[in-house]
Amino acid sequence: MADTNEAGRLKQETAVEKLLRRPEIGSFVVMLVIIVALAIASDGKSFNALGLKNNIAIIAQYGIIATGAAVLMIAGEFDLSIGSMIGFAGMAMSMMLKWGLPFGMGDATPITAFIVTLAMTLALGWLIGTVVVRSGLSSFIVTLAFLFFLRGVTEVSFRLINKSTQISGLPDYKEESWFANLLGGDVFGWFYDLWFMLGGNLNRRGEQWVEGFDARFLWWLVIAGVAYFVLSRTQIGNWIYATGDNKEAARANGVPVNRVKIGLFMFTAFCATMFAACQVFDTNTSDAAKGNLMELFAIAIAVVGGTLMTGGFGSVIGVVFGAITVGLVANAVFFIPAIDGAWFRVFLGGILLAAVFANERIRKRITGGI
Amino acid sequence: MADPYLRVEGLVKRFGPFTALGGVDLEVFPGEVHCLLGDNGAGKSTLIKTLAGVHEPTEGKIYIEGKSVEFRSPRDASDAGIGTVYQDLAINQLLSVTRNFFMGRELKGPLGTLRMDEMNKIAHDEMLKIGIDFSDPTQAVGTMSGGQRQTLAIARAIYFGAKVLILDEPTSALGQKQQMGVLKTIKKVRARGDIAIIFITHNEIHSRLVGDRFTFLALGQTIGAGTNAEIGDEEMRRLMSGGAEMGDLEQELAAI
Ligand SMILES: Nc1ncnc2c1ncn2[C@@H]1O[C@H](COP(=O)(O)OP(=O)(O)OP(=O)(O)O)[C@@H](O)[C@H]1O
Ligand SMILES: [Mg+2]
Repeated sequence: MADTNEAGRLKQETAVEKLLRRPEIGSFVVMLVIIVALAIASDGKSFNALGLKNNIAIIAQYGIIATGAAVLMIAGEFDLSIGSMIGFAGMAMSMMLKWGLPFGMGDATPITAFIVTLAMTLALGWLIGTVVVRSGLSSFIVTLAFLFFLRGVTEVSFRLINKSTQISGLPDYKEESWFANLLGGDVFGWFYDLWFMLGGNLNRRGEQWVEGFDARFLWWLVIAGVAYFVLSRTQIGNWIYATGDNKEAARANGVPVNRVKIGLFMFTAFCATMFAACQVFDTNTSDAAKGNLMELFAIAIAVVGGTLMTGGFGSVIGVVFGAITVGLVANAVFFIPAIDGAWFRVFLGGILLAAVFANERIRKRITGGI
Repeated sequence: MADPYLRVEGLVKRFGPFTALGGVDLEVFPGEVHCLLGDNGAGKSTLIKTLAGVHEPTEGKIYIEGKSVEFRSPRDASDAGIGTVYQDLAINQLLSVTRNFFMGRELKGPLGTLRMDEMNKIAHDEMLKIGIDFSDPTQAVGTMSGGQRQTLAIARAIYFGAKVLILDEPTSALGQKQQMGVLKTIKKVRARGDIAIIFITHNEIHSRLVGDRFTFLALGQTIGAGTNAEIGDEEMRRLMSGGAEMGDLEQELAAI
């Protein structure tokens, strides 16, 4: 073009300036503020050995489904069926464990119960995605339909087969099955062992207090790590961003946008299933109401983490910060008994609104202000 | 003269009852700029979308180097060497220059990972070749000017082996200086000698400046064709306005 010395027009940024322009910076600062405020207000209790474990447990739960929701949002779609999918998956798994596999396939083991459930939820994710891309309807309305449908199916199945909408008192599969232990047992025991060796992590009798984190911590790290890698480093990641940014442009360049979307609806279903599996094998219970409202938390955390509602932009790292922030505040009432637990929702509403405005500013900066 | 790289014969495209193209012929030669001219709604975009594999022709044939071809998807067309720069450019604003450049044809390492450094370098070098030095290929396209976006789309098409470069109104939304920039780019691509360019425009001056050969469409029909030298200014204006006599139009305007 006329201005051939384009290079001269770009100011060289320092590393710090680059860092400050990263989209995750907002959610990172909010997270730091919350961590410090909570440590002070709870007198350090929220980050002692047990406090840390309990906080991470809820953060990981949020993190798992928010990762799924965020990646799907980057591709330009929503999934309101996540919460009901959690309930459905938990119901399916626990009922198979209690009453055996469907179609007379015999007794279930943790592995077979998980695999059959995952096959069902992935098929449902595929169905939801296919309905969305084929009909061209808004995913908001299609997945809202599945929110009701799946929750209803969960309750009805419970009542028909189990006569009650809860299952409790399943055997503790963790004891025998390595697989159940992988989902519901403890992980990173070395961390707490080390803490104990260094003179901390003691209970009242002076023994080691906490043995390890809940396994879902590991699953969250795996899911977020893979999502981060795929989004930022792979061809599929490029396609996901392009699908959410300008679907027609992506299609004209040969990106299979429908397959990308269907795949991501299956990914949110997978995340919901992992959420449910960790819960079932941790507590050996399930309940038709499990996962209620989780789809909304997942979307809220994705937005707090810097994901654009309009698609095409977002980062898994931001969502990690978002999950930590929201998880800590959700749990705060246990460490600061004086406060009313409902403040959590006040906080979430406020921070969500602030995040939407911040994200919009970032979008305008990138697109040159339209 | 050399054989045409691309030849279109009796191309018909109907959308339901509506005939957008009613039997169009076209020949494009390597190293030439072929201007496709005609009023709004004449069918220019429909024609090139058919060439680009977006629409399937209802009737008629497309030949590449003398061989009959059928395109089922944009991918088929681009594999056959047809590179299209759409009116809307097919660009993702929020993504970086490099990611747009390689969209759909990313360079992959093991595990499907992107070879990002290599891709950044190629995107930068290819754009430099046709006229812009874009120092930071990791910058989002949303911040680029309209002319720079055109250059990106053109460089992308050429890099991925376009033998026919189709430009749908590349100058229409640009300022004077940037329009000239795009014309320069077209000239540079033409000078390579191995690429045929189909250039759609409503601008008579632009087509005179860079065009070797013209085809005029009106209401889905070819109403005229010829080389730059063959077609006089009067004739050109008459054909560009769909065959109406300029004199008549002047009278009509005067009567208001
Ligand atoms: N997908 C479609 N379905 C129905 N009609 C269509 C479709 N695409 C184009 N048309 C019609 O075909 C005709 C030709 O449209 P086209 O876009 O090819 O015109 P054009 O020559 O590119 O005009 P312009 O100069 O305004 O870009 C128009 O009447 C248009 O309404
Ligand atoms: Mg057009």
